Amino acid sequence: MAKYLITQSLLSSWLYIYDCFEGNEDGAMDAFLHTLRREPEDLDDEQRQRIQNGIDFEQAVYTEASGQPRAPHPKWEHGICEIAAFLKGAQFQVKAYREIEIAGITFLVYGILDALRKGVIYDVKFKNKSFGSLDLAGDYLGSPQHPLYFYLVPEARQFRYMVSDGQDLYIEQYEPEDCPSAADLILQFVQFLKANNLLDTYLQHWQARS
Amino acid sequence: MIVSPENMTFDGKKFSMILYGSPGIGKTTLALSAPDPVLIDFDRGMSRVRSQHRKTAIFCDTYEDVLNDLASPDMKQFQTIVVDTGGSFITYLQDWAMRADPKVNCQKNGAISLKGFGAVKMEFSRFTSYVKDTLNKNLIYVFHSLEQMDKDGNPQVRLMCEGAAKNIVWTPCDFGGYVQMIGDRRDVCFTPEQEFFAKGCHGIKGHWTVPELGPADTNDFITKLFDKAKANIAAEAEEYAPLKEQYDRVMEMVHQILDTVKDEETANRALQDIPNLAHALTSKRESSAMLSECAKNIGLIYSKSAGGFVRKEEKEA
Repeated sequence: MAKYLITQSLLSSWLYIYDCFEGNEDGAMDAFLHTLRREPEDLDDEQRQRIQNGIDFEQAVYTEASGQPRAPHPKWEHGICEIAAFLKGAQFQVKAYREIEIAGITFLVYGILDALRKGVIYDVKFKNKSFGSLDLAGDYLGSPQHPLYFYLVPEARQFRYMVSDGQDLYIEQYEPEDCPSAADLILQFVQFLKANNLLDTYLQHWQARS
Repeated sequence: MIVSPENMTFDGKKFSMILYGSPGIGKTTLALSAPDPVLIDFDRGMSRVRSQHRKTAIFCDTYEDVLNDLASPDMKQFQTIVVDTGGSFITYLQDWAMRADPKVNCQKNGAISLKGFGAVKMEFSRFTSYVKDTLNKNLIYVFHSLEQMDKDGNPQVRLMCEGAAKNIVWTPCDFGGYVQMIGDRRDVCFTPEQEFFAKGCHGIKGHWTVPELGPADTNDFITKLFDKAKANIAAEAEEYAPLKEQYDRVMEMVHQILDTVKDEETANRALQDIPNLAHALTSKRESSAMLSECAKNIGLIYSKSAGGFVRKEEKEA
């Protein structure tokens, strides 16, 4: 029987339609349709650099946490070491998947955990802007990531977003009982797809390989 | 000192907390309900506390005055330091930073420089850990709230604080409570909602209604909350300590098994042995990832059809 992938980035892209800046709903819907059709993103150099910064930062954190040799980073050393101190002994980039049946469709929830250790899932986030110009508290309350990851790893007791701008560390943590169920989120997603005649598009592009 | 879980006590556990809400809602009085408090009155707010609920306070002109008072032997009698308000504390820190190193921390127009903001942030962190870890006191930061609109024009409450400190202040705190009026009721909420951020820990979550204080009533709301948190920690330790111990035992065995993995045969033996251990918490998933990594390092890959590890070139063929 066919199974269909659900990832946190797909659900984030959908939820952004409700959470985008006022007047940007059409742009958010277009971005979601790109994601839904699995079309490559059209990024400018600055966007590409921001994404690359995040990848480089994460990689440096994992290298440091694993105790492997690396050269100190000229700008982000403090942030790298602060997060790495929490992640010592963790397993990195752990793939996880689990089936769920909603509205007669079998979904395969899939995710890659940045780090996992002793019942705690860690997700490393890099901010290109310094904390002084941000207000992070509560930023991840509505994220589908922790509900989905708790579904993927039901034995986990806590999910921690580890956010850094390269200098400072901000941690936001959630426990399973604090978040909506993955089933509810996926059901709402399916209802949205049906209401907007997009279910076929999803089924066409997100079938899991057997 | 090595202490086994069954002999651990949490009576002396100290907490840190943020309390924030609109001016006049009673945050200072609430903060003074913590065990044996002393209030650092940066905001000159003690005058607004009813006389019967006033406690000892530190009044200061500079940040250095505060540090001198905290180092005094008189501090031994207090269990809790209340910083009222955190926002005013930042202003004192800015003044301190600009006086301490005017060339670096001060702009030509007399305003604080970017490096000065950095110095303030560092000192804020240092002060927090000094009170918690060195002085071993509870620490409560009182902040005013600021109502702003989110991008859709919905009201959103944030704590009033300048610079990066508004984000780093949340990380070391155990509890972050938003104080609000709901009808005639005054609630502190420790669970985040769309409108505001809050932080719960040790089983303290959701809305806690603050009782109306009469002249003869004891102001001990936060003392009771801390006691409840200590009881929850003890209960949680009793529940999870065996799991954590089991996790540590299993992971040690996993490491021993992985040390034997040298080739296809030993990798497949580990593949059979590891799932059969008495796993706890996330040990099964972690050990599976460790085995895959270990196998990959010696040129093996998992084959679903073979039901085990095979040489990478075999699978590709």
